[in-house]
Amino acid sequence: MLGNLNTRVMLEYLPDIWQGFLATLMLSAAGFAGAMIIGIVACALSIQPLRWLRGPAVVYVDAIRATPLLAQLYFLYFGLPRLGILVPEMVIGVIALSLNSGAYVAEIIRSGILSIPRGQVEAGKSTGMTYLQRMRLIILPQAIRPTVSPLIGQAIVLIKDSSLLSLISVVELTRAGQMIAIDRFMPIEGLVATALAYLVLYYLLKLLAGVWVYQNRLPGRA
Amino acid sequence: MIEFSSLNKWFGALHVLSDISLSVAKGEVVVVCGPSGSGKSTLIRCVNGLEPFQKGKLIVDGTELGGSEASLRDLRMEVGFVFQQFNLYPHKTALENVTLAPVHVRKLSKAAAEERGRALLEKVGLADKMENYPHQLSGGQQQRVAIARSLAMQPKIMLFDEPTSALDPEMINEVLDVMVSLANEGMTMMVVTHEMGFARKVADRVMFMDRGAIVEIAAPETFFTTPKNDRTRDFLSKVLQH
Amino acid sequence: MFWMQLDRVMGYWPVLLKGISMTVSLSILSLMIGVMLGFAFGMIRAGRNRMLAQIVGLYVDFFRGTPFLLQVFIVFFILPEIGIELSAFASGVVALSNVAACFIGEIVASGIKAVPLGQSEAAASSGFTRVQQMRHIVLPQAVRIVTPALVGQFVLLIKDSSVVSAIGLLDLTRSGWVIVQSVPNGLLVFGIIGFSYFVICYPLIYLSRRMERRGQATIL
Repeated sequence: MLGNLNTRVMLEYLPDIWQGFLATLMLSAAGFAGAMIIGIVACALSIQPLRWLRGPAVVYVDAIRATPLLAQLYFLYFGLPRLGILVPEMVIGVIALSLNSGAYVAEIIRSGILSIPRGQVEAGKSTGMTYLQRMRLIILPQAIRPTVSPLIGQAIVLIKDSSLLSLISVVELTRAGQMIAIDRFMPIEGLVATALAYLVLYYLLKLLAGVWVYQNRLPGRA
Repeated sequence: MIEFSSLNKWFGALHVLSDISLSVAKGEVVVVCGPSGSGKSTLIRCVNGLEPFQKGKLIVDGTELGGSEASLRDLRMEVGFVFQQFNLYPHKTALENVTLAPVHVRKLSKAAAEERGRALLEKVGLADKMENYPHQLSGGQQQRVAIARSLAMQPKIMLFDEPTSALDPEMINEVLDVMVSLANEGMTMMVVTHEMGFARKVADRVMFMDRGAIVEIAAPETFFTTPKNDRTRDFLSKVLQH
Repeated sequence: MFWMQLDRVMGYWPVLLKGISMTVSLSILSLMIGVMLGFAFGMIRAGRNRMLAQIVGLYVDFFRGTPFLLQVFIVFFILPEIGIELSAFASGVVALSNVAACFIGEIVASGIKAVPLGQSEAAASSGFTRVQQMRHIVLPQAVRIVTPALVGQFVLLIKDSSVVSAIGLLDLTRSGWVIVQSVPNGLLVFGIIGFSYFVICYPLIYLSRRMERRGQATIL
């Protein structure tokens, strides 16, 4: 299959793939930034004892987790104009990515916080720290460590998910590959080049996660 | 029954067993002791083919180790092994733990295996725990199930790797009692342990290992009263104080 | 206005029903194939043959590292080029069960590696063959360890199945797309679509969480 790959066509379309690659990078970066903000807020709300604060956060997380991104994307794509909100497809895409990944980010941070032994909270309380002081000085510094790897994992998911934006005609990497496939009847060349571009990002982030885990081994653990 | 000749083993550059030569006769009970890292566990794991070695020869029950998978399996059917951490199968009841190998390895009928299993569990004093899962049993009870599991294969040789080291003090004796009665029945045994009382009572020979080598081996009376080597004396003074 | 539109959407219930049954049948079929293939991958990945493990690892990485939409296109466009003609449904099942197998394989491998070495040593010392050790001792314990993650994976599979609408299969998502063309209220139509997914997926999410919690309780 790879034997009769037309590398000339792949080179010819390299600039298009490159543009698509950059677009995917930017969409993903914007989406991830949004997801972090939404995720932190949703997580902060979901660990509150007050039901009217916790409730909406829990419903949001569950609703996102139980429905596909594509349905969420169409919900916004066909729904926002109805509310009189007319924005470019690209913006809709970034909003959808942020809302979707935000729910997973919230869960990741939450489990990071819950992984801290109760004794840590009690030690903080017993020395007279306030809630915010305990969060800032004791809980968060310890909670961040176990979340970094899963957050990088979520970034990988988000980059792959961003390919769905091609279905609402945002031009990014998958769309670029698809155009080569359809315009030139060269599906193998277009799709393989696109896949390789995604794999570059995948391996880079996987490597990053591995290095981080290696450098942040807890003392005393091999 | 067990014949080591100039056996050597390395973990990378580390020489974990050096020039081990030892012969264990049928019906003999040999207790192996020594500080941690002395190679005693590695030594008896070799007997059951759980550890490969690089140089020398080891013949167990007429079979030379280092041959084919199949010959190793045949050998293992005749050699029972009891682990420090019990290694009971957590998803099986006590009785199932005991019958699993007889059914699948010895190809015994289920009924015959269960009959044998029940008898063995009764023998180790667990008649009322047959249907319990390992996590419902105390450490001492788990180790007795593990011994019954090994005996169910009707082995000619039993190997014990620190069988009481993971137990709370009050449970050690219930396990040692089972081992004593096994020794009295004439089982060939190699036992890695620091239980010197057990060694005095049933061992035919006691062996002291350090840094991968056999330092001293003697009948218990001689071993405990007039040890020849300084390192043995030093070790005994530490162990016997407890 | 709203009630009129709701009424019109409800008039499309046969389309909706068709979509739901497509999503469910795609997911269940792919789950069954994916689990079987995934267990094979997992046993190879955790197995002794390093060479084979690495080859499967590379294959698995390819499908874990690329978007599922792209994989659907690859199956749909590239397989015909090498002489394999598949219907859209078969293409969907191939793509879905393949990606599921890749993720399940890594889960199973981690489960196998989580079973303590002493377990297979104990089995080996009573004369079990390698295959018997795997079948009677290691795999049953690994399955218990990974079941919550497998249920979670099934949820991902159901959600991923929405992507095959891109090659024209009328699944639940596609049925929303069809309905919204004649009832131009995206919030309502995809609200209903989303609710349908929620009804299918949420029980599984709940189940997976409960199993995880129960698993932790028995470990502690």
